[in-house]
Amino acid sequence: MTEILNPFGKVALYPGCALDGLGKAYDVTLQLVAKDLGINYEKIEDYNCCGALEVKNVNTMAGLLLPARNLSLARQMGANAVMSACPGCHYSLSRTQYFMTRYPKLREKVNSYLEKMGTKQYDMQLLMIHAVEFIYNTVGPEGVKSRVKRPLQGLKVAPYYGCLYSRPKAYTLTGYMKMKDDPERPVFMDELLRALGAEVVPFESKTMCCGGPHVYSDVNTSLHLEARILKDAKRNGAELLITDCPLGHVAIESNMNKITEKYGQDLRMPLTYFTQLLAFAFGHSPEETLLTANLTDPMSVLKRYM
Amino acid sequence: MPIPNLEKPIIKGLIQKDKVIVDGVELDGTWNAFMIERTQTGYDQSVWDEIANTVEGATISLCWQCGTCTSGCTMREYDPNYSPRRFIDLARKGDKQSLIELQDSIWRCVSCQKCTHRCPKGVLVEEVVHSIHNYLLKHGLVKTDPGTVFDELFLETVMKNGGRISELILGGASAKAGFVTMSLRDLLTMMGPLLKSGLIKDLMKPSRVKDWDKIKPVLEEAMKEEVYPE
Repeated sequence: MTEILNPFGKVALYPGCALDGLGKAYDVTLQLVAKDLGINYEKIEDYNCCGALEVKNVNTMAGLLLPARNLSLARQMGANAVMSACPGCHYSLSRTQYFMTRYPKLREKVNSYLEKMGTKQYDMQLLMIHAVEFIYNTVGPEGVKSRVKRPLQGLKVAPYYGCLYSRPKAYTLTGYMKMKDDPERPVFMDELLRALGAEVVPFESKTMCCGGPHVYSDVNTSLHLEARILKDAKRNGAELLITDCPLGHVAIESNMNKITEKYGQDLRMPLTYFTQLLAFAFGHSPEETLLTANLTDPMSVLKRYM
Repeated sequence: MPIPNLEKPIIKGLIQKDKVIVDGVELDGTWNAFMIERTQTGYDQSVWDEIANTVEGATISLCWQCGTCTSGCTMREYDPNYSPRRFIDLARKGDKQSLIELQDSIWRCVSCQKCTHRCPKGVLVEEVVHSIHNYLLKHGLVKTDPGTVFDELFLETVMKNGGRISELILGGASAKAGFVTMSLRDLLTMMGPLLKSGLIKDLMKPSRVKDWDKIKPVLEEAMKEEVYPE
């Protein structure tokens, strides 16, 4: 096999609570896909919660210190880049890096607490990337295409990136570098899915928020936002909604019935993580890719490719 | 929205004279009216100062009131009173009363970051709005809203469960706090796949950070510290 050019150097995966929890299928299939494509990453061991979107709102220091500890652990592994599969984690880690770069005194404070915790000071030498960016920039659509064993010809998919995959540019650096996706109309996942033979339908809600952070506290808004995403996908003829965000994935999947009841329109549609679809197209079985363990039933659509 | 009271005293009063002679020339018509005070008063600068002195709110001073944040805002579509631009404007004027009137809206930010992303002036709009909200909470001007209750619950769950959470534990805690209402049908759809994949075990017992007992007190100490944007 030809050696794969990896522009990121050594990549550490920050799994976050999602990948060890309800997003397990994402974790498992990301490993499968990386192995098939011959790209390497190492998991950060003993990581802690990144604080998601909640902690920063109630305590400034906790909102910076929790992610900073993970960044410091990644540096101790000798990593040059931290990959997150969850855009929420990607955002939290990038945000911490932003504030630590911007305010030197704050950085000193965070670092002194890191030392007290028994971790090294964080030296600000990491690039934060998302799993989609990692696959796109290492093997790219061509690399993916060469691995496909089950071409998904005729499958209509709507790639849902979620809001934090590309925003805000100040934190995620989208739009500033070639290896980062377009900040308003991302295309990396579209191209990876096209490489599988699937047809990507036009999808206006690509980066629309699903109301995830308020899925419990402001449920009606969340349902409204999720309904809109499903409606856009459905109207454009998608059979599958493809996600790269565990929060959006779980929120939309678990609210599917409520949405249909509330809006009196059948908006039900199966969801898969993009890595699940990649792994399936690479020839892995539905059990191996945990496609059978999603709350919705993507196999109802995918069985014609078996 | 009515014009805030603070903007009313822009013109404090007029002096009108029947006969005005300047350099030997007599003025008539509108020329003989003078404003006593042309400066806007009644501003409470302390609100702006306090927000600008937080890590999140430091960029409030950069705002030009162009409204880009609000025109693309996700929440605005669902709540017409939701307006980051207006929150910033009122905070800078120190118009606490108007902010208090908007308390049922201001907490509803879903953190989608469109506003921050698009701001042409580099204002971290989402952070600033949370800073304004935190100011109101800190000074006891508004009641605690569901969003804040959930955020606190989240932090509490992280601290209690060894530095990590699982959606099920957080869901359980939320149910206890009265947030989640799950029908039997929802539970049944959830349970099938969870049992099938063996996920239920991982979810009920998230692994803890190894030295959490040592890390937790440091974090608690850090959380008490006042931090400034410097």
